[in-house]
Amino acid sequence: MHPFYEFWRAALVKTALTYAVLLVLLVGSVALALLVGHGSLADPALRSTLLGLRATRVGAALLAGAALATGGAVVQGVFRDPLVSPSILGTTAGASLGGQLAMLALVSGSPLANLAVSAEMVLPLGCLLGAGLSLAIVLTFCRERTGTLTLILTGFILSSLFLALSSFITSLAQDSWDMSRAVVSFTLGGVGGVSTRQLFAVLPLVGIGILACWLWSDNLDLLLSGEDEAGSLGVEVGRARRWAVTWVAVLAAAAIAVGGNVGFVGLIVPHTLRPLVGVRHRRLIPACALLGGAFLVACDVIARVFPSRSELPLGVITGIIGAPVFLILLARSQREVSHG
Amino acid sequence: MADEALIEAQGLTVRRGNHVLLDQISFSLGAGQVVALLGPNGAGKSTLLKALAGLLPFSGELRLDGREASQLGRPERARLVAYVPQHSALDAALPVRDVVAHGRFAYRDVWGRPDRRDDAAIDRAMQLTDTRRLAGRSFSRLSYGERRLVLLARALATEARVLLLDEPTAALDVTHALGLLHLLRDLASRGALVMVALHQLNEAAQVSDRALLLASGHLVAAGSAAEVISVEPVRRVYGVEIVPAAQFGFRTPAEKDTPP
Repeated sequence: MHPFYEFWRAALVKTALTYAVLLVLLVGSVALALLVGHGSLADPALRSTLLGLRATRVGAALLAGAALATGGAVVQGVFRDPLVSPSILGTTAGASLGGQLAMLALVSGSPLANLAVSAEMVLPLGCLLGAGLSLAIVLTFCRERTGTLTLILTGFILSSLFLALSSFITSLAQDSWDMSRAVVSFTLGGVGGVSTRQLFAVLPLVGIGILACWLWSDNLDLLLSGEDEAGSLGVEVGRARRWAVTWVAVLAAAAIAVGGNVGFVGLIVPHTLRPLVGVRHRRLIPACALLGGAFLVACDVIARVFPSRSELPLGVITGIIGAPVFLILLARSQREVSHG
Repeated sequence: MADEALIEAQGLTVRRGNHVLLDQISFSLGAGQVVALLGPNGAGKSTLLKALAGLLPFSGELRLDGREASQLGRPERARLVAYVPQHSALDAALPVRDVVAHGRFAYRDVWGRPDRRDDAAIDRAMQLTDTRRLAGRSFSRLSYGERRLVLLARALATEARVLLLDEPTAALDVTHALGLLHLLRDLASRGALVMVALHQLNEAAQVSDRALLLASGHLVAAGSAAEVISVEPVRRVYGVEIVPAAQFGFRTPAEKDTPP
């Protein structure tokens, strides 16, 4: 057999095994998340209510994790930089600010909250509008011949601006105990208060976002060669980049709408998977969606069962797990480089 | 075959800010020949190749295979013109065959499934560049010279009629450098227009039919390789003398029966 086909077969077996493990992890974490938590499933009167609440929570964690991990794989491909996450574009900070403003408007009884939108949909809508505004600014700079450095700097400046405004809102919220608690909880991330309606509003955004990124996998693969080479091979570079930036923004906004500001998922999940399924986005993106979802569901289980006075914020857990995992992956890749 | 113009440039000018990188370059090149692009560092060789590949904005007229270049979409242009840069930004752990398969991107639909014609073009490109032995290896683990060959294979997989190469023999050992020059001649004999930026004048004299000599963004000489790589233009542009007394040279076994 030709060496390439032997290699191809080995890679396919490895990928298939990885996907099988990911599915087991996903099913396992979902089952665990449904079974574990406050309240007893043995009580027939509570069972359906508890399962319903937990299922909504699991769904939110699944969607947020899948969206963030997919967004991470895409931005790392577009910027050819393994150290970036969806927050690089500034749209994450924009979505977060939008969410906080929506909460503020809702609690303060602002006329904005009296629009033809139910109260529970104000938060997701605020996240989407915030992400949309920052996306519009990013796209203004994302022209055909704009370098990636300009794009990264634009994202950095926007993130700094939106984070400063978010801090201002947090300080305003301190006047009210409930508001302050809600803003801090949202900032640290969590899927506890998500409603079924919110979940179903976000579901199509995540589904279409992941599919849109997956369909452009070949473009993303070619962008690994840099914009000049990708362009010479037929990629409409500006269009591909705008497409990627737009869908990453949608995914980030959707994730924040149901999971708050959860860090590290978009950074470590693609990193963990590249050695297992390879760098081709057609295989990487679905794997990221599976592991991202499973990871956040598992983190939510930890958040629920960790012995503490109140539930641990999701962002704290992803950070505590994510930072050492990332350092281990970094050390491993350094070792591979030094050993050739 | 050489009378069929594949590249026609008229007053081609490339600017970066107020700085003129290429100034009013005009030439016409037909199929079936190797054209050496010569000039000292900073003369504008890479800039010209990038402009022809559609990677730099320019003013002036450019027709590719009889069609206005600005009217061509990216995929259409990629099927007509292939470009191999001097330094590739690619450093991903992609299997070599997948890298070569990128050359077929301009032929793919949204689902990205390769068909038999894609496979045949990839196999042929890898065979011509002697990279089949590397097919299953990771691109990021190849030596610099091996990477150059793989990137050339990627360009050949496009089946473009115009091939633009920037310093392709840099970092290649003598065997692969000679093999590559031999391959460029072979591609030209099959009807391709091969335009190759070279620093080594002896390589240019050996491989090319025609030559363009650039200096400070101006085209100072164009014509047959023998006319351009001659005493006066070389002295004027490079400030060196041609010494026609090489004591030894190299040739591949395939070239054994042809005079050096």
